[in-house]
Amino acid sequence: MTFIGLILRNIRARPLRSALTALAVAIGVMAVVALGVLTDSLNHTATQILEIGEADLTISQKNTDDIINSTISQEDIAKIGQVPGVRRAVGALLGTDAYDDQHPLVIEVGLAPEDQAPFGVNILEGRSYGTDAANEIMLGYVFASSVGKRVGDQITIDDNTYTVTGLYSTNVSFGNSTVMMPLSHLQGLNRLDGQVSLGFVQVDKGARVETVGKAIDEAFPQLATIATASDFGRADRNLMLIGAANTGGSILAALIAITGVLNTSLLSFFERIREFGIYRSIGWSRRRVIALVIGEAVVVSVVGAALGVALGWGAINVLQQLDQLRGIFQPIYKADIFTRSLSFGLTVAFLGALYPALRAALVAPITAVRRE
Amino acid sequence: MSRGNHNDGPAIEARGVSKRYGRTVALAPIDLSVARGEFVVLVGPSGCGKSTLVNMLGALERSDTGVIEVAGHRLGRGARHLNHFRRMEVGIAFQLHNLIPRLTARENVQAAMLGAARRRDRVERSEELLDALDLTARANDRPPTLSGGERQRVAIARALANKPPVILADEPTGSLDDDAAELVIDIFKEWCLEGGTVLAVSHDPRLSSAGDRVVTIPVAAEGG
Repeated sequence: MTFIGLILRNIRARPLRSALTALAVAIGVMAVVALGVLTDSLNHTATQILEIGEADLTISQKNTDDIINSTISQEDIAKIGQVPGVRRAVGALLGTDAYDDQHPLVIEVGLAPEDQAPFGVNILEGRSYGTDAANEIMLGYVFASSVGKRVGDQITIDDNTYTVTGLYSTNVSFGNSTVMMPLSHLQGLNRLDGQVSLGFVQVDKGARVETVGKAIDEAFPQLATIATASDFGRADRNLMLIGAANTGGSILAALIAITGVLNTSLLSFFERIREFGIYRSIGWSRRRVIALVIGEAVVVSVVGAALGVALGWGAINVLQQLDQLRGIFQPIYKADIFTRSLSFGLTVAFLGALYPALRAALVAPITAVRRE
Repeated sequence: MSRGNHNDGPAIEARGVSKRYGRTVALAPIDLSVARGEFVVLVGPSGCGKSTLVNMLGALERSDTGVIEVAGHRLGRGARHLNHFRRMEVGIAFQLHNLIPRLTARENVQAAMLGAARRRDRVERSEELLDALDLTARANDRPPTLSGGERQRVAIARALANKPPVILADEPTGSLDDDAAELVIDIFKEWCLEGGTVLAVSHDPRLSSAGDRVVTIPVAAEGG
């Protein structure tokens, strides 16, 4: 018999209790995995909007509730173009519309034709729309394929019928599922004359992005410069709230799981006082008794964590089917989700079993020996 | 606990040792000295404090008065390394056996050696002891399925597991038939011949007659 063998033996001796403890941990891990993947995916989706433009810096309105609702005057974009170190500043208007049940959320990009190349748009087929052509549109090739449209076809979006003049790709996959039309037309549809949602800034060769960003921040305090995905929260309050909800939900899940482990370990302690006393009477150190109790909790929690990852994966698939999230939520499974789950399980095991383990270690050998 | 020299002095030395629980005197002051290699049997009426004395000699509880030295280690307030002492210096065979019900007989014996011996040694030693105590056939059985005598022998095997210099046994033959009792007595005698020391509490005349010496503990006075 080994120490690990003893731990496993003790777990197997109480199968129902061990299973329920693992389930408590699994539910916690499921919540952490589902919330984590959801947040990462929404972050990724939102961040990809910024990355459509091949820019060193993205400019948005500061503290807007949603990046798509950001508004910046074209005048400001033009002024940003004059900031020392800025090579080019391009403004794009973003909007959303439903196409059909399968495409409930299509992102529309309003962009002047001459800004397409600097914006990273590569026309694959056909040509660009005209500068002010109200009935012309280009489709990202993924969207075109998804709705079965080709160059020359007609497409109706929100009661407006357009002729598809071209298909394009962008530097990020997300952009390939968008549609693009003249800036002036989209401004008219959204009653946002002279406004864009985001500015995309490329800096001069040799200029430092941070320095240029700081200069823009100082000159335009109502705007936020975004250089990295982590800057995104400065502009998009929704993401901050989603991030906070994720943290809050994870803490709540951890508390539930810790309470589950604590409850089981404590019940187990009261049932096993005599056993701990026997271990102490035959020379086991307190440390070894603590290791036994925590080891049992760790094994159960690791099993629970593995189960939780599977449950989380199932929960994500369910979320993906929700109408509210279709088209927005593309699950992204990062490798660290497994290490996060394992860390969660180990933390829960340690915190949940610590108090019972200390109680077990403090059992006096003589008390246990006399206990019948 | 101070580390002593195992080659000098008695194996067990108790001077003026007593114990009370509230107003109840569990053990009246007693002096006891057991030489190395000696097999001593403690006798006395029920309630005189025989088991209490064994518990104190095994460092399971402290005496109220007096001085205790076992295998060269002074026990009492401020004693250190008690885990090592309980594991390596004394082996206690409890009256109520105190086996772990979930573990097999073999595993109960090995549990005493966890952290004290390598796995291969634990396996070899447990097999050797179970064989010596005629328990090989029951090695894979758990205590609830063993008879009282078998449980008692498993408890003795566990006490001997780490080859401690001193064995403390509380009624080790109480529930054994003659053959099994003889087996245990032989093992104790052999233990003493090899330099070990045995102090056994017993009402069993078979054990009393086998010991080198019998020490009688008088009944403890009540109250006061």
